[in-house]
Amino acid sequence: MAKEIGKDRLGDFFAEGSRVRSRREWRGLKDTLYDYSRWLGIMFTLAKFVAKPRNVKAMFRYRWMANYLAVPMMVDRHTQGLRGEYLRICHIEQDLIIEDVAKLLDSLFRGDRRIGNDEEFSKKVVLVDENEMTAVMMGFPTLKGLSRETPSTYISVLLNQRAACHYIDVAQQFGLAGDVCPMPEAEAGVSIDDDAPVLGACAIQCNTTCDGSMLGNGVISMRLELKDGIPCFQLAAPLRHREDDVQEYAAQEIRNAIAFIEDKTGEKWDWNYYFECAKRVNIATKNRLNWLEMNKTDYPQVFGSNLALYTETNYMAICGKVPAFVKADEKITALAEQAYKAKKRAAKEYRHRAIVWGVQSHFYMDFLAWLLNCWGIVPLTDMLSMVSTRELVEEDTPENREQAYYDMAWLTENMIMRNRTHGGYKVLLDELWEFCEEFNADMVILWEHMSCKALDGMHGQFEAKAREHGIHLVWVSHDLFDPRVVSRQGVREQINNYMRTVMREEPLDPTLEVLPDEESW
Amino acid sequence: MSKLPLKLLMAGGAFFAVTFTVYFFNLDMKLTSKIEPLLIKHYDTMPRNTYL
Repeated sequence: MAKEIGKDRLGDFFAEGSRVRSRREWRGLKDTLYDYSRWLGIMFTLAKFVAKPRNVKAMFRYRWMANYLAVPMMVDRHTQGLRGEYLRICHIEQDLIIEDVAKLLDSLFRGDRRIGNDEEFSKKVVLVDENEMTAVMMGFPTLKGLSRETPSTYISVLLNQRAACHYIDVAQQFGLAGDVCPMPEAEAGVSIDDDAPVLGACAIQCNTTCDGSMLGNGVISMRLELKDGIPCFQLAAPLRHREDDVQEYAAQEIRNAIAFIEDKTGEKWDWNYYFECAKRVNIATKNRLNWLEMNKTDYPQVFGSNLALYTETNYMAICGKVPAFVKADEKITALAEQAYKAKKRAAKEYRHRAIVWGVQSHFYMDFLAWLLNCWGIVPLTDMLSMVSTRELVEEDTPENREQAYYDMAWLTENMIMRNRTHGGYKVLLDELWEFCEEFNADMVILWEHMSCKALDGMHGQFEAKAREHGIHLVWVSHDLFDPRVVSRQGVREQINNYMRTVMREEPLDPTLEVLPDEESW
Repeated sequence: MSKLPLKLLMAGGAFFAVTFTVYFFNLDMKLTSKIEPLLIKHYDTMPRNTYL
């Protein structure tokens, strides 16, 4: 039990065969009381959620809801080892995400024909993909853009590493390919297993991010349209998203999607609301770029899962529609600047500066915290956080209204992950080495998602370029949503082997090197 | 009049003692990890309209 950063033996909290850790960390009086107060806040959010009978009913109806028993543990995973400003940044983000997901669940169950069956509310709902920038909802203040896949699969796997296994198996029992990305496959499995809430006036699906996502969308839209009577629009963003000649087509797709929503809901696009949201997206971008600038120095502040998970949520699901995220951005920036001025660090020793590339395993999102605590590897930024840097137009003029379609198209084309897995070798391969130089990184941790063909095809090219640039390239194979293929320890072993055999280093915290977390949430 | 703040203080102290114990020893997660298998059993026995 220690107040100082890096004095704890974090591996000692794990027990063989246990779902949970033996106890929470003692972080010194001030930080422990802070963490406790935030835990109370999370408990309050959860209590408010279960106080509604329809949410309890949903708990007994949907298998994936069982994963939400593990909400406080998800936060514990991301706060492990953190003190001071870093702990506070993590809580600002995680607690807001929890609140936002609780609201999403509450809305889904309110409109769900099986649970709340509020028909008037359901008519105001537009279902959106989990893997989709929700830019086309930025001009509909009276509509709710809700994703069913976000709580059923995406968040579930962050809560419980085995959350998607049942749905992957269901999809494969029905003959769906086993070698596609398990994320869309699990989403299709939820639909096949009759485990998705049924609501909404219409749905917008997007051709992100890969062949697996096309597979999932096909299965889900068939059920939505033919059984549930919910019409779907397929928003087909171009693959070569950096080319000028595809932008008019991309903008037209946005116009078509908006017209479809107007037609199915009877609501009209509101430019005032759009430009309000655009301003908030710009604030998010400005703050994120500020954090990335700090990460290029010797005193990075907002990095690891503090950067990755928050960026994904802020851009894809929020896209300027929730003012609370602007306030959170400002608080995070203030804390980061305070720590930067004081030249603070999040771990007792920084040995390597790493860029984390590729598609990270969702069942092991806290791997970034592990890298830092176990080996002193600082994950300065990751591929999914290197998203849009463009400033959207935010003043309502006739010219800007036209430009706004291109801005929404830009956001959609550059959806997190899609902006690198689509668009060719320049965005996936070449820009990585530019980032290494900018961030003064000596190491690349390359998540090799074995079902992601766009990434795997570049394996040899990554190795050749790493040699050319003199960068340590550490491969980490995994199967995104399926820990039965590569376990968390399987992931860790790949780093351990490299650090011991190539780097000849000893871990900062040896108790973290091998963890008995096979059965853990 | 002076008994009310004392009672509030004691109630607050008891609330802190109980909740901090639950927090520190991770008793909330230990409890919910026991509930999960019961829920899974329930989901496994539910009738579902499963089809492609």
